[in-house]
Amino acid sequence: MREFLAAELPADWRGVGALDAEAADAFAERWRVTLFEHGFLAPSWPSEYGGAGLTPLEQVVLAEEFARVGVPTGIQNDVFSIVMIGNTLLHWGTEEQKQHFLPRILSGEDRWCQGYSEPGAGSDLAGLSTRAELDGDEWIINGQKIWTSSGHLANWIFVLARTDPDAPAHSGISLLLVPMDQPGVEVRPIRNMSGDSDFNEVFFTDARCPRENVVGEVNGGWKVAMTLLGYERGEAAATLPIMFRTELDRLFALARENGAAEDPVLRDRLADAYVGVEVMRFLGMSSLARFLEGHPPGPDAAVSKLYWSEYHQKVTELALDVLDVESLVVQGRRPTNVTMFQTDDVGAPNDSASWITTAMISRSGTIYAGTSEIQKTIIGEKLLGLPK
Amino acid sequence: MRRNVYDDDHEVFRQAVREFVRREVLPHVDDWAVDKGLPRSFWLAAGRQGLLGLEIPAGYGGSEAGDFRFNAVLMEELAAVNMALPSCVGIHADIVPPYLVHLASPEVRSEWLPRLSTGEAVAAMAMTEPGAGSDLGAVATSAVPDGDHYRINGSKTFITNGHTADLIVVAARTTPDAGPKGLTLFAVPADTPGFGRGRKLDKVGQPESDTAELFFEDVRVPKSYMIGELDRGFMHMMTWLPQERLSAAVTNLAHARQMVDETLRYATERTAFGRPVGAFQANKFLFADIVTRLDVTQAYVDQCVLAHTRGELTPVDAAKAKWWTAQVQNEVLDHCLQLHGGAGYMNEYRIARAWRDARVTRIWAGSNEIMKEIIGRDLGL
Repeated sequence: MREFLAAELPADWRGVGALDAEAADAFAERWRVTLFEHGFLAPSWPSEYGGAGLTPLEQVVLAEEFARVGVPTGIQNDVFSIVMIGNTLLHWGTEEQKQHFLPRILSGEDRWCQGYSEPGAGSDLAGLSTRAELDGDEWIINGQKIWTSSGHLANWIFVLARTDPDAPAHSGISLLLVPMDQPGVEVRPIRNMSGDSDFNEVFFTDARCPRENVVGEVNGGWKVAMTLLGYERGEAAATLPIMFRTELDRLFALARENGAAEDPVLRDRLADAYVGVEVMRFLGMSSLARFLEGHPPGPDAAVSKLYWSEYHQKVTELALDVLDVESLVVQGRRPTNVTMFQTDDVGAPNDSASWITTAMISRSGTIYAGTSEIQKTIIGEKLLGLPK
Repeated sequence: MRRNVYDDDHEVFRQAVREFVRREVLPHVDDWAVDKGLPRSFWLAAGRQGLLGLEIPAGYGGSEAGDFRFNAVLMEELAAVNMALPSCVGIHADIVPPYLVHLASPEVRSEWLPRLSTGEAVAAMAMTEPGAGSDLGAVATSAVPDGDHYRINGSKTFITNGHTADLIVVAARTTPDAGPKGLTLFAVPADTPGFGRGRKLDKVGQPESDTAELFFEDVRVPKSYMIGELDRGFMHMMTWLPQERLSAAVTNLAHARQMVDETLRYATERTAFGRPVGAFQANKFLFADIVTRLDVTQAYVDQCVLAHTRGELTPVDAAKAKWWTAQVQNEVLDHCLQLHGGAGYMNEYRIARAWRDARVTRIWAGSNEIMKEIIGRDLGL
């Protein structure tokens, strides 16, 4: 991997963070093509479908090396296209679905987003009310999704919809593959706290998709949806501590530069943050070891999610205190989300905009992908065996 | 618990402020966030309503009652809207006027106080500099005698009302190398040649206030525009900073209280897993924790308001009120945001904006660390 990176990146490469936002986006698109040509765009997929066929350990090495030098593993939508729906199709899809969709994902023709959350169904996902009814050879979809990341950049959406209104909450749901370029689908961006509009609302008004665009069984979507959520976890255990350590090193540098490192109270908190990220690394290694032994991600993923999201709020709060009054004004380069959503790009300058925006983004970490309250419920029930 | 600070006169005034907010503020406040500043029409309306003259004697067109509780009521009601309003109005009506009323020359008083009461002129206070925040002794902007004038050179930053102010009270160095002992206050009209403003700063929160950088290049002000005594500026500021910090405390708490009320409504209406999210025991206990913290804090702040009304509030009392309310406000709003779930992260929900608005309260008007220094020093440490 190091040879590949050395051959493909410029000699003076310092990470995507050294590029301004526009150049970073352009780089990500070019880099995606490079990855595609070398078969590294979908490292986990079998080679017959255009992947690299890497073993789980090799995938982790790839992710680590990419994180280390600060290059993306794809564009923003690839989390949904390759990691989520691509892997899910490999596991649950029919041969026709694989043959049709997987090459279009790799070529970039199809860019996916995820239609799960609804205004009335967030943490309580099974409470979703978007409906799909069969009309001849087509599903007719009505309802609304919300917090759809990168939805404004996508042309396909995988939608959890209620296909049997009379069944118990978890039993009447199907996972549908829906083209977005049709009159019945409307995307409306939402401006979030950090000022970005990466989230969207997606409205379905008599939207249509072919009858065969169901993944897994009709009314069996809950099980499919749950496998899908597992795909993002194995790799994150290894890469998040790397990204957080890189971020923390930047904070140490900032504290040295502006004198905050002389302040005994701030030094205490910096030391605490170092311990925090080391613990996260060991936690990640132990999850990874279990993953490599072939165990599917289990309820211990809740410990990991809870831990890193709470850690990141603490450390970015510390960063604002290190910045002192500089933390009041947004100046300099803002994070781009090109490499990773949680932290700023590798090589990014130590600007106040970097830390302020990251601190705001960290605020969403204890809410998305299962709130801290949900994670604690899982830990209580599944790991501790406390009564429901 | 029933609060015992305010009597009927204050409550009548509170109703008047609420009516003003309903009529003059709520229909426009979202536009002000987009425009990044309060329009002059707001100031004039507030002036007509008599909200800007609470520290200004009747002879200058004000409605000075000598009772800080009216200021506190005004701050509480504005804080229920957002944090920028009490900040901007506080600087103009609560913080700047006492310096002019008690320390300025008759010329400055009669020229400016009537216009500040009507809102025809807007006031700002310029202490902070790029190299002097909490450490006011490091102020480098200089004022040098020049005939019967002073000539001011330097720059200020993070100045609330900075982009629209017509009169700025400026802390400037009149004796070099004397630290806090060499500072003097001046009233600087914004139309004086050499005075300039930078851009409106892009802040984390409070977009409705036009925070700006200010530049002074050979700005000449008459000696009669000196406020208070030569080289005594720091002492003068110390005299009125407790009022500023108490106002900050009142505002912090009222803002947090309003957002908790709104979050409680949300947690009652929003259901997950078949019941209101507020009905989960973890959340119910969290709310119990939050409102207890608010009530206990309120008791202390109310006592401070009463003490200040009697002229007995010490700088240490005010420091405690300021840092504690800022801390409580930030913690409480963080819980409120979390209780909103994904909606809490979106700017179209008030809690997201409130969370961003509140971050500065641990920094401005003397950071929480400085407040603890003041308290620690008072303990003889």
